[in-house]
Amino acid sequence: MEYIIEMLNITKEFPGIKANDNVTLQLKKGEIHALLGENGAGKSTLMSVLFGLYRQEEGIIKVRGEEVVIDSPNDANDYGIGMVHQHFKLVHNFSVVENIVLGFEDTQYGFMKYEEATEKIAALSEKYKLKVNPKELISNISVGMQQRVEILKMLYRDAEILIFDEPTAVLTPQEITELMSIMKDLASEGKSIILITHKLKEIKEVADRCSVLRKGKYIGTVDVKTTSVEKMAEMMVGREVSFVVNKVDSKPTNTVLEVNDLSVYNHRLAKDVVTDVSFEVKAGEILCIAGIEGNGQTQLIEAITGLRNPSKGKIVLNSEDITHCTVRNRNLAGVSHIPEDRHKHGLVLDYSLEQNLIIQTYFDKKFQSRGFIKFDAMRDNAVTLIEKFDIRSGKGATTSARSMSGGNQQKVIVAREIDRDTDLLIAVQPTRGLDVGAIEYIHKQLIAQRDAGKAVLLVSLELEEVMNVSDRIIVMYEGEVVGEFDPKVVTENELGLYMAGSKRSDQ
Amino acid sequence: MVEKIKNYFITNYLGISTGFSLFLFIFIIPQLFEDSDLIISLIRGIIFSIVVGYLVYKFLLFRRNNPNFVPSESKLVVDAGGSLVAIIVGLLFGLLLMLLVNPGQAFYGFSIILRGGLNRNFKSLGDMIFFSVPIILTGLSVAFAFRTGLFNIGATGQLTMGAFVAVFIGVEWGALGEIHPLLHWGTALLFAMIAGGLFGAIPGLLKAYRNVNEVVASIMLNYVAMYLNTMLIVAYIYNRDYARALDIEETAITPIMNLDLIFPGSAINGGIVVAVIVVIILHIILNKTTFGYELKAVGFNRNASKYAGMNSKRNIVYAMMISGAVAGLAGGLMFLVAGKHLKPENILIPEGFTGIAISLLGLSSPIGVLLAGLFYGSLQQGGYYLQLLNFTPEIIDIIIAVIIYASALGLVLQKFVKMILKRKFLEKEDGEPQDLAVEGSDE
Amino acid sequence: MKKLLLVVAALVLVFGLGACSKVDEYEIAMITDSGGIDDESFNQGTWEGIVEFAEDNDLTYKYYKPLEVSDAAYLDTIALAIEGGAKIVVTPGYLFETSIYEAQDLYPDVYFVLIDGVPHEPWDDDTAFNTADNTLPILFNEHEAGFLAGYAAVIDGYRNLGFTGGMAVPAVVKFGVGFIAGAYYAAAKLDVDIVFGDDTYHYFGDFAPSDNFKNMASSWYTTGTEIIFSAAGGAGASVMAAAADNSAMMIGVDIDQADQSDTVLTSAMKQLGNAVQQALQAYIDGDFVGGAASFKGASNDGVALPMDTSRFATFSVAQYDAIYALLVDGTVVVPADYATLVTFLDDATLDYPSQAEVEGTTE
Repeated sequence: MEYIIEMLNITKEFPGIKANDNVTLQLKKGEIHALLGENGAGKSTLMSVLFGLYRQEEGIIKVRGEEVVIDSPNDANDYGIGMVHQHFKLVHNFSVVENIVLGFEDTQYGFMKYEEATEKIAALSEKYKLKVNPKELISNISVGMQQRVEILKMLYRDAEILIFDEPTAVLTPQEITELMSIMKDLASEGKSIILITHKLKEIKEVADRCSVLRKGKYIGTVDVKTTSVEKMAEMMVGREVSFVVNKVDSKPTNTVLEVNDLSVYNHRLAKDVVTDVSFEVKAGEILCIAGIEGNGQTQLIEAITGLRNPSKGKIVLNSEDITHCTVRNRNLAGVSHIPEDRHKHGLVLDYSLEQNLIIQTYFDKKFQSRGFIKFDAMRDNAVTLIEKFDIRSGKGATTSARSMSGGNQQKVIVAREIDRDTDLLIAVQPTRGLDVGAIEYIHKQLIAQRDAGKAVLLVSLELEEVMNVSDRIIVMYEGEVVGEFDPKVVTENELGLYMAGSKRSDQ
Repeated sequence: MVEKIKNYFITNYLGISTGFSLFLFIFIIPQLFEDSDLIISLIRGIIFSIVVGYLVYKFLLFRRNNPNFVPSESKLVVDAGGSLVAIIVGLLFGLLLMLLVNPGQAFYGFSIILRGGLNRNFKSLGDMIFFSVPIILTGLSVAFAFRTGLFNIGATGQLTMGAFVAVFIGVEWGALGEIHPLLHWGTALLFAMIAGGLFGAIPGLLKAYRNVNEVVASIMLNYVAMYLNTMLIVAYIYNRDYARALDIEETAITPIMNLDLIFPGSAINGGIVVAVIVVIILHIILNKTTFGYELKAVGFNRNASKYAGMNSKRNIVYAMMISGAVAGLAGGLMFLVAGKHLKPENILIPEGFTGIAISLLGLSSPIGVLLAGLFYGSLQQGGYYLQLLNFTPEIIDIIIAVIIYASALGLVLQKFVKMILKRKFLEKEDGEPQDLAVEGSDE
Repeated sequence: MKKLLLVVAALVLVFGLGACSKVDEYEIAMITDSGGIDDESFNQGTWEGIVEFAEDNDLTYKYYKPLEVSDAAYLDTIALAIEGGAKIVVTPGYLFETSIYEAQDLYPDVYFVLIDGVPHEPWDDDTAFNTADNTLPILFNEHEAGFLAGYAAVIDGYRNLGFTGGMAVPAVVKFGVGFIAGAYYAAAKLDVDIVFGDDTYHYFGDFAPSDNFKNMASSWYTTGTEIIFSAAGGAGASVMAAAADNSAMMIGVDIDQADQSDTVLTSAMKQLGNAVQQALQAYIDGDFVGGAASFKGASNDGVALPMDTSRFATFSVAQYDAIYALLVDGTVVVPADYATLVTFLDDATLDYPSQAEVEGTTE
């Protein structure tokens, strides 16, 4: 069998950690090979070794059967290896052509040979049905198009091996479908593709074979056609995972949160980023705000939680107007908030776990007397929550938040917010960047809260999550609510059209 | 059981013997060559040795009780290790410079610098403490603000305002001294703190409510303080014949608090007691109170503190105020000394800037700053006695500056220390492998 | 155990070895005042005198720097200098008055030369003066130096004069008084009118240079001032810079400042070096006489203009010698304070600076 890339028995150690422990990856020519694993399983380390960013301690890399040493990304380029990063590396006020030739400029007498480049790019775009206009400015094209520019960039450099790092994280369902077909086209033209992901559905749809990593160790390579999703998930997590979120129908009662005609003005953009948004969340239901990133969800939530001032409108919590309350007063009035960015807002990374667990309640009689912190109470609180929410950390309550894994950091926040036992729980992308096990856990917690009679407001970019967890869905597009749906009735495809702005229901 | 007794004996024995050998080294041996009062130095030595012995004993006890202690996991060990390595690097730089300037006496000179505050036993030790008090306090001032995420480069100005107010009260409010001497001194210090605090609050307010960068604001205020000081001295407490402020009343002079019994012949006064009290208070504020919890949260992550509902604006003002008050206190203690005078000179008082380096070296923790300040004082004494050799004072100043500078810079080496420790204690490592790779490639 | 041995070895190295090395001894010591050794003023003038004398007589010498400007630190540094082998300690500046007051009794075997001050008790309001036999305070007749400068400037053709002082301390005030006296004396002699501008008699409040001072001096020059006498130590550099910008001249102070700038017409010198060398000479001859202040004026070559380096157009060495002789023989008694200045000039029609200006009490 002809392998274009072979990474044999790779071991890469960081001080104290074996990030890759005897990992083997063999890529056939013309196949789409998925690299599956939870966060921290060592996928990125392995790819960085291949891309010349790290040197392995043990093991060899072969390209087209020849053993090679890859010392830098430039070496990787020379061997025809290209990578589409999760965060695109594009200059926004440059055109597509300029971006693609950047760092690879062909010049004649010191002048750029744009015409040739443009022709070549147009031809490539045509061949792989990418539909990219080479003369367009990056800032004018959608995220999905930008990703295609990244793909073109690799093709322009004659890459034979394409690595996609979590390519679907930023795309709408329609864009995902198109990307899948592009990848298939690429493979059928003889390109070999490594797809890094933890989304099993995509693997099932597009990949030929799949290698699984778990905690730095190589678990195995399977043929995707003949392997069930459940089996792959089990290989990835190390135990059986249930995908179906079990929940009973919601029984909404009284209205907890009411948002009326809320607008948020952005001074830098000099426009409303949230426009006349109205909705309500009842006790005992999960309302989900769906939408593609950057359509005003962040600002809307910040306005509700008090981190940002609305320019117009009213926020009512339990029939009490909280529009102009401070964050603290909102917290006391009954708002819990699992923030979008756990490092920016959710945690003080240099504080210990126990300190982070009292960040909104340190002044409470329970934790404070005469201005002094009750360290025993703080410790007891942490020990209880660690037990109850199964938070895992190196040194228990005194572990520094910085040293914890992303999933456990999120658990700290979830534990803290749920434990505050407020009427309204706002969760913004609570499963972002988490692995399957942690996602499952957090979904269960959200539903448990709903069943306990809380109002839950969920903001999510993941359609699967939106469909599985919520009782009611509203879709936001460019700061406006463009539709409201029942997850039992609506299809993912339909939602996708609304999220992309190509459909809207008149309110 | 036998093992237990043996362990206990070894622990104690080592503690005692370390204390005793230090005692011999520092107190007895020099006495054999100098004809001073053996009894007094004996008593001093015994007290000192007991303290050192006790500390060693405690350390060994800790090691015995925590056999699984992993140094690389302890922030304290890693940080302190970084500071130590930094100091060693700084000292080596100093040695290098000395070898360049005067190779014949470099090593002897270096030993004088290392002996620092011990060059003349308790006399120089007392001097070292005396001169480090303002440095410790300005270091604390900078460190406290820094814990709240603010860079108070205005300690000099706050110190100047504190100094002026203290001297003014020292000169003019003699009536207080007639009621009780401590009342006069205490009032002068109190108002020095208030003056420094108010002066520190200005950049705090500007930062909190107008988002003016505190570095810019406090630098400019340094100059305001400097010129204001000149103007006010000339207007109110000017000694025309000597072009300086008038002498303060005797009652405003910082009391010695009998410290001269321990440190005879030195310049020491009660300032160190005040400084230690401030260290303890700040340590408690930062580590034990809800106020300190808030301040640190604001310092570590302003966004998260906002999210948690803390009033970060108010905290910024308070932090700058406390920082300024401590700097003002430094100014008061600096000039409430007999034979020392505030001058209407247009020079920024350097102690405020030295405080920045000391705060860095002390890792912005009150106790660390105390140690770093004493270290600075010790270097200063070493440099002072180095004058007995063929080094000009300017070169000595450069050597001291290089040591401090390299030390503060060398904190970069902290990571290095952590790495070494981790290598050594590899098997204790737990936790998951981290996804460093893609972060790196994202650069 | 190995580590313990290492620590012990290090300790021995640090504390033990050091003690064996021999320390050099320095017979003549100077303690620096608040400025550095190159302050282009007192410290420097004194130090150059010491260096020259010590080199000529093959003596060891060294200067020491106190840890801070305070009585205690000065006294401590004197002790350090004596530990370093000093037999005679020179201290430039009145700030040493109180520390010498104590040191002279603590170290009766050591000689002290105190420049510009007289030892007294450390309290302002209770100034008990006492000069022990091992101490020689040296005071200068600054007014005579100022007189020579003012006289020379007017004879040389300057008519519009200015004065800047560092701070209104007695020595600086005396420079100014002498300067006014000398200028009007020359004007009377030539029968010309001279003028001090409205605001051109000023104390900076500082002895260190600053852009503000330069701007002030510059504005004087642009409004007609022809020459400024700057009795302000290092701050004179600001006046020199202003003079250079305006192609004007200034007069330096304390030491010969001619080599600092081409704009220095002359300098009202205290013969610091001379005075120190006289004291050191007495010390090695074994006839050091202390106990009372020694005044250095024209009569004992204590003040001078550096005629070799001055940039006069017409004022000649002969003219200088003539006026100097008048000071020496007492024909001209230069006033030292404002009251005697008034009697000296004895002409109510003259518009010389007011008492408040001269004594620096206008602020």
